[in-house]
Amino acid sequence: MSTEIDCRGLACPAPVLKTKELVEQEQPEKLRVIVDNEAARQNVTRFLEYQGFVVSAREEGSDLYVTGHAGEEAGSKPAPVKTAESEEIKQKIMVMVGNDRVGHGDDELGLKLMVSFLNTLKEMGDELWRLVFVNNGVKMTISDSEVLPVLKELEERGVYILVCGTCLTHFDLLEKKMVGETTNMLDIVTAMQLADKVVNI
Amino acid sequence: MDRADDAGVYRINDDLALIQTVDFFTPIVDDPYGFGQIAAANALSDVYAMGGTPKTAMNLVGFPLEQMDISILREIIQGGVDKIREAGVVLVGGHSVDDPELKYGLSVTGFVHPDRVLTKQNLKKGDHLVLTKPLGTGIINTAIKGGLASQEIIERITRLMAQLNRKPAEVMSRFEVHACTDITGFGLLGHLAEMVTGSGCGIRLSGHKIPMMAEAREYGQMGFVPAGAYRNREFRENMVEFGRSVDRITQDILFDPQTSGGLLICVSGDDSESLVRKLKNHDIPEAAVIGEVVSTPGEKILVE
Repeated sequence: MSTEIDCRGLACPAPVLKTKELVEQEQPEKLRVIVDNEAARQNVTRFLEYQGFVVSAREEGSDLYVTGHAGEEAGSKPAPVKTAESEEIKQKIMVMVGNDRVGHGDDELGLKLMVSFLNTLKEMGDELWRLVFVNNGVKMTISDSEVLPVLKELEERGVYILVCGTCLTHFDLLEKKMVGETTNMLDIVTAMQLADKVVNI
Repeated sequence: MDRADDAGVYRINDDLALIQTVDFFTPIVDDPYGFGQIAAANALSDVYAMGGTPKTAMNLVGFPLEQMDISILREIIQGGVDKIREAGVVLVGGHSVDDPELKYGLSVTGFVHPDRVLTKQNLKKGDHLVLTKPLGTGIINTAIKGGLASQEIIERITRLMAQLNRKPAEVMSRFEVHACTDITGFGLLGHLAEMVTGSGCGIRLSGHKIPMMAEAREYGQMGFVPAGAYRNREFRENMVEFGRSVDRITQDILFDPQTSGGLLICVSGDDSESLVRKLKNHDIPEAAVIGEVVSTPGEKILVE
């Protein structure tokens, strides 16, 4: 006996929301959603497929019956979808490093804190999206920087490291940059706009 | 003009023509000020899309006096007026009616030189197509209606929709632009189909070059595609051919009805790179060349 919900007469996006509620609360193996328009059929189908269901539909007069059978990954969590591009909804964090020290008061302590901070950044996991170095911060990216191995590791994991070109030139360090891409203010401002969160150190 | 375009144009003399347009709609976002901003930007956009400069505007209001507090209307109009001022346009009046359904928009008048009117026609083989705002507002607004979007996404998309097309219009005036339109309810493909019909040319788009909001992919895959997208697709299906690498969600986004979208500029092929560069330098970071005008297949749009 499959679970059934009637979404006829409901305005978009209610059919998808009701289906979502059902899937999250009851995690059915099989369910049927009744809709009365093509757009709702398409959307409910897209949602169920995204959740890992195998979907089929049939017409009954003016109504459409959308049936979903749980595939291997079906469940209440957003299932990992087969296509490579799809990702879970997560935030993009941009961290902007404007100095080679963290905080004010004691420079030696500040340097220790910066090393510690950059070492711990990997705890942000996939959400760390852009790491930007400006002004004194660019010194973190040059050849004898203590944090170079950590930054290289982050870069390997897919974090975009952007290093301000104007700043490197100012300090005459352009050739000494060992990690990340040289960037400009337009890229930095665009990244700030696209990021969900911007952290300033 | 013998065919319907973004706005009405009336020649006054050899140097001056009047552009007239009107646009209003029901709330797009919950925030009244944001709604006012979006409605105003949307109405002004048609003038920019014709290559003109908006000069005066009048408010159009439908407001449920019994059911809603008047302070909401004040916020909406403030949003509209601030946007009008930002565009350098003068508010010269308006009209409101008691209406069970809230509506706001503008009637706009602009100037343009008669020889420099940009219509949706005049595509030339070899032209490149440039888009100035990313796609996806229809899908994201549907997800917002469904309560799924974070406040940050709501704010980001409100800003995007409230963004004037003034700067791209100013930048494009320095280039050899043959045609232009703004992307709104018919979706990118719907508006391109209008440009292609009767032109004797076809269009070839590079799917991966078209700016799209990442959230639109996510929400679209979850089924938050507005009914308008399906209608747009049905209407133009026979004119569009998708390559095998163009996945379903991309197709949905290309038909997704936009609210207050960017300008679609048809510019001489030689100038497209430099137009995009200038646009990016003028705070339009998403500007991109998305395709070209070809001679065959005529009157069709290929998406690769």
